Amino acid sequence: MLLPALAVTLVLAAALGSVAVHPAVTLRVVLSRLGLSGGPAGIADIPASAVNIVWNLRLPRVLLGALVGASLAMAGTAFQGLLRNPLADPFTIGVSSGAAAAATVALLLRQLAGLNFPHMVPLFAFAGAVMALFFVYNLARIGGRVPVVTLLLAGVVVSSFLSAVISMLMVLAAQNMHGIFFWLSGGLMMRSWQHLWLILPYPVLGGAVFFAYSRELNILLLGEEAAHHLGVRVETTKKVLLVTASLVTAGAVAVSGMIGFVGLIIPHAVRMVTGPDHRVLLPASALCGAIFLVWADVAARTVMSPQELPVGIITAFVGAPFFISLLRRKKNEIRF
Amino acid sequence: MRIEAVNLKFAYGEKTVLDGVSFRLAAGSLCALIGPNGSGKTTLLKILSSVLKPARGRVLLDGRPLGSFAPRELARTLAVVSQGGDAGYLFTVEELVSMGRAPYLGRFQSETASDKEIVRQVLELTGCLYLKDRLVSRLSGGERQRVSIARALAQQPRVLLLDEPTSHLDIGYQREILDLLKQLNMAEGMTVVAVLHDLNLASYFAGTLFLLNKGKIEAAGPPSEVVTAEHIASVYRTGVLVTPHPVLGTPHVFLLPVQRGLNSRKNYRVHVLAGGGSAGELLRDLAEAGYDVSAGVLNVGDSDWEAARALGLPVVEEAPFSPISPARHAENLSLVREAKAVILAEAPVGHGNILNLQAATEALRGNTPLFIMEERPARPRDFTGGEGERLLRALKQNGGRVINEKARLYRALRELNSGDQLNQLQNLPGLTVDQERVV
Repeated sequence: MLLPALAVTLVLAAALGSVAVHPAVTLRVVLSRLGLSGGPAGIADIPASAVNIVWNLRLPRVLLGALVGASLAMAGTAFQGLLRNPLADPFTIGVSSGAAAAATVALLLRQLAGLNFPHMVPLFAFAGAVMALFFVYNLARIGGRVPVVTLLLAGVVVSSFLSAVISMLMVLAAQNMHGIFFWLSGGLMMRSWQHLWLILPYPVLGGAVFFAYSRELNILLLGEEAAHHLGVRVETTKKVLLVTASLVTAGAVAVSGMIGFVGLIIPHAVRMVTGPDHRVLLPASALCGAIFLVWADVAARTVMSPQELPVGIITAFVGAPFFISLLRRKKNEIRF
Repeated sequence: MRIEAVNLKFAYGEKTVLDGVSFRLAAGSLCALIGPNGSGKTTLLKILSSVLKPARGRVLLDGRPLGSFAPRELARTLAVVSQGGDAGYLFTVEELVSMGRAPYLGRFQSETASDKEIVRQVLELTGCLYLKDRLVSRLSGGERQRVSIARALAQQPRVLLLDEPTSHLDIGYQREILDLLKQLNMAEGMTVVAVLHDLNLASYFAGTLFLLNKGKIEAAGPPSEVVTAEHIASVYRTGVLVTPHPVLGTPHVFLLPVQRGLNSRKNYRVHVLAGGGSAGELLRDLAEAGYDVSAGVLNVGDSDWEAARALGLPVVEEAPFSPISPARHAENLSLVREAKAVILAEAPVGHGNILNLQAATEALRGNTPLFIMEERPARPRDFTGGEGERLLRALKQNGGRVINEKARLYRALRELNSGDQLNQLQNLPGLTVDQERVV
């Protein structure tokens, strides 16, 4: 049911924008480009500008939004399950900040020092994400558990510190500030097929690892000792999953900056419907995250058209109230 | 499966928790770990389940070191039910219990029909089938405990370890869970080791007990050898009475009253003629109130005798189930003469102890106040064919004061003590207040 919804979302989102293209036209462009309906001849009646808008501007952006949304939702699901903490997501626990700070360093190195290699930004982001996670996790851990309160506090501390680092880097590199700022505030504008291919491996591989470990994620909800008794290699599993979640987050941050709250609200909303079984929860969250972020991006493009907003602003407007309502709920209602 | 522990040592930082624990537990044993708080029971269980690694020593399962089992292999061999049951509040009972099959499933394999059948069977066995679609967060304490046991059984283990499976449960649930474990042990030959807090439940339940104290095994063996007054007194530092369970014959522990300090002593001798469990409470109350209490003639092993002994009271004692001999009767008479008041407890009267009634007449003869306890006058207590009845009646007619509740006795004794004028009281018409009740 979610798959068709995603397909409809992708087509509609590609159609909507400051220059509206009829969804039917959009669909025909997409299908013909995919070689499914008559090839280039089938769209001879459609103006080249419309084809260009749909295929070269909108579609990569929409697909990228879907991938980023899926990445963040999966990473959030994994963090929440692993830490047995319903308020964990890449953003609240500082992993996004770590990725962003390191990615900023990578961008500056590229622009100022001319250093460049394939996947440079995502790999820097990954290293930053893992380091931030390491700090937050060890700060927040009390006797083998990671309580909600200390996790959030540690996340806030590390995030604030990293924001300061990013600000400092931007001041040092004043002439490049605008580009970095735009990227940081979480946007999908000016993204091309190239970006899409860059990020694609991360959610695909990450998703495969998550799915392979979904039974372990379920069992870990019983507690680490109980998981040990059920034959789970707890420490190994935790490391694999934390690193994978950081990697997936890093990929998303590298192409779209800091988009908050997707990893928090999507797993929650989906869990209310599917229950806590990660074998269902993970794919469902990925699809819902994709759909959610694509529509958030449509809003970002159209609400103040022709002016575009960074999509991170939209997710924050939706996510922050949700986050507050979660915090206000009694603790035992949001336990696993 | 046989479990062996060899010289296990464990410390949390500086604090030594296990200090050389060794034992050998035969396959199919039903074992309870008992001991005071902080004696190392839970730590031992965690070492047996490989959650904690001992600083020294090792655990062997059927002769094979615990550390040589791969995690999933161990999970197919040994299952653990932790205190309070499993978390996993958002899962349904069936989902939770199905997790017990995880050690048998490959990474991308889902449960087969036979896995589902096993889950159904353990749910049925633990009486949880009707709960299968309920959320774990909606279960009561006893239900959660049972579901946890079902999850452990779904692992089809040969060893089952449980940490206080009955804590915070009412007696009905306690029994249900222990009986279930016993049944599993009997039917499947599963080796079961449970940490239990309650000594009586442990004796009721287990075939083998390990009594831990300060990180060592103080006593090991069947309940009758481990749960003894001596062991309990030394480990728990409190006086107890251990008597066989009236039906099962397993040891049963009762708290005993403690002797008070000397400062509340009234230096006032009260002699109690008792027997047959008629005066335990009375002896305790009097001793606690500070009277110099003596008792007689009691058969060794009688519960009044146990009570008097625990309280450290002087007792004239006779061999078990033997009639009072002339020598013991004479001793009893001398204690009656020394007393300032004599109490005839509401003991059954038989040919063996009718001399205790004789001794009561000695009190009247010496002008010592005699109190005849009659809290339950409707209950037949004469088993001598009339002789006892006749003597009792004579005692009442000759100045014995009938008391129908203990509080009245204590008030009368207090009055005697404060006035300390026996003769004066003797002459008071009030001494026979309950005359209307005299037959």
